[in-house]
Amino acid sequence: MTDKQISRKEKQLGLTGFIFKPMYITMKQFIKAVVNRPQTILYPWEKMATPDAFRGRPGLIFDKCIGCGICMRICPTRCIDLVEVDDLKKAEGEEPKKVKRPRVNLGRCLMCGYCAEYCPTDAMIVTPDYELATFSREEAIYDPYMLQHDWKPGYEVHIKEVLPSEVNKVFEPRLRIEHKDIPVLDDEKCISCTRCAKDCPVDAVTMVEVGVNERGRPIRKPVFDAEKCISCDTCVEVCPKDALTMKEAL
Amino acid sequence: MAEMWINMGPQHPMTHGLWNMRIKVDGETITDAEPVIGYLHRGWEKMVENRLYPQIIPMADRLCYGSAFTWSHVYCMAVEKLMDIEVPERAQYIRAMSDELQRIGNHLMWLAAIGTDLGNLTMFLYATRDREMFLDLFTSLTGARMTYNYCRVGGVRNDSPPNWTRDLVRTLDYFEKRLKEYDMLVDQSKLFRMRMEGLGYMSAKDCINAGITGPVLRASGVKQDLRHNDPYEIYEELDWNICTHDDCDTWARYRVRMMEMQESVNIVRDILKKMPESGPIRVKPPRAAPVGTAMARMEDPRGESLMYLVGDGTDKPYRLSVRSPLYVIISASPQLLKGYRIADVPSILGMLDVCVGEMDR
Repeated sequence: MTDKQISRKEKQLGLTGFIFKPMYITMKQFIKAVVNRPQTILYPWEKMATPDAFRGRPGLIFDKCIGCGICMRICPTRCIDLVEVDDLKKAEGEEPKKVKRPRVNLGRCLMCGYCAEYCPTDAMIVTPDYELATFSREEAIYDPYMLQHDWKPGYEVHIKEVLPSEVNKVFEPRLRIEHKDIPVLDDEKCISCTRCAKDCPVDAVTMVEVGVNERGRPIRKPVFDAEKCISCDTCVEVCPKDALTMKEAL
Repeated sequence: MAEMWINMGPQHPMTHGLWNMRIKVDGETITDAEPVIGYLHRGWEKMVENRLYPQIIPMADRLCYGSAFTWSHVYCMAVEKLMDIEVPERAQYIRAMSDELQRIGNHLMWLAAIGTDLGNLTMFLYATRDREMFLDLFTSLTGARMTYNYCRVGGVRNDSPPNWTRDLVRTLDYFEKRLKEYDMLVDQSKLFRMRMEGLGYMSAKDCINAGITGPVLRASGVKQDLRHNDPYEIYEELDWNICTHDDCDTWARYRVRMMEMQESVNIVRDILKKMPESGPIRVKPPRAAPVGTAMARMEDPRGESLMYLVGDGTDKPYRLSVRSPLYVIISASPQLLKGYRIADVPSILGMLDVCVGEMDR
């Protein structure tokens, strides 16, 4: 140990050093803690208030959902899949319609909130539920009916953003749905199979006749309605010949 | 007396996680040491190769439980460089502010751990209590306590909630008083200083040769801080000082981290003054990245973290390589330990702020 270190230690510690100052602090805190009792809450009966932005399990507004599958594709752990279930609304004396709705495996859910963030119709919401313990792994898989949750304002996630070409200029941030990516068709590859029109969740694809082939049969090509489209990528995924690509708004 | 190997870990209170420190002792003196990691290897770098670009952000959060935001931040910076996106000014300020709050939270976690390492349970309780205030701030800002998923490619997720600035200023005022209490509790306690002074000596030359960065390097008197030397986001515009110490031992490392907490408080106050009131905070990123490579680095609470990204024109990265600061520091731990007693191991290694999540990946 050098001389410099010894002198520094003596200067800083002084006579009251050693253990008295730490004991003084501890005593002060002890008295504060005793006076301001209680420091804890009775957890199962009392709960902490969660802030507005708190992210718990994902919830579903059943009637708003259109079964587009964006949540399924964006989920980082792939804990969401689409299942066919009976619709809640049904006409008198009729069988309920079959609809596609998300099913979430909460045992794998990260609570990242991407499903609610990317949902085009605000059907997926972020709920403040955090008590999700179950007795078995099967119980942690929430089907679309169990996934429903009461809606309150603020549960849905609205992200406002600008395009990369508009940064640092005067532009008002807009919702994601207002600048969407539109699928474009490669005419060479299309075989007129109509799968994009059948699978589109919002019926934004219509098949239009553009002429006849050499055998006299009509050739039909898909036309996309930019107003209805929600850029969900379903048509791009189902296309058997990879004729569709997304044209991005940048 | 014959020399023998001692396994400290993988289940040992000193290790703060799953890794193994093998130590060769001659009596009480350490003659050789060998860190063994791999118990927490999750294959992170391979795992992210089949994720979309936005899906990797929550994965990057889970690299380190102590400083989740900085890891998603460095990932987002790498992707922004690859995609050539500009970030709005307000988003840059929010990111820098979250970085500094994360630095305080992480250093408090380290302070709690070093308290229990050295047998000071009071330190642990006080530090975790104060860290809770910063976790509450993060909960109301981002929506989660530890894995925030807040940074986005081209900005941040959401704007700060109403009254958040008021809460932040109150917390910082309270925390500055606490820092003075820590000074009295630890710095002026002879017992604590006896276990820290003159241990784990590493000169500036050795530190630079071993590739050590962060508070450990600054404790050896080297003025190296990426916020100053390679400024990212808006750090050029802020007034602050690099915290250094000349003693090169564990006591210096302790002091540098305590000074950094004070400096982070000053930086956050400066940011609150200079932050624009409103404006866009988020840019819509393209789906696919172009063919090419990008590199981003930043000052993590533990040192220099770096991500190297190779894009192949699709919406998934071809390769994402991570440089963890602690992986390098732990590799140099035999140099730090050699010649000291076996009872000094917790104080020397605890001062490095070990986090196995980022080390093993």
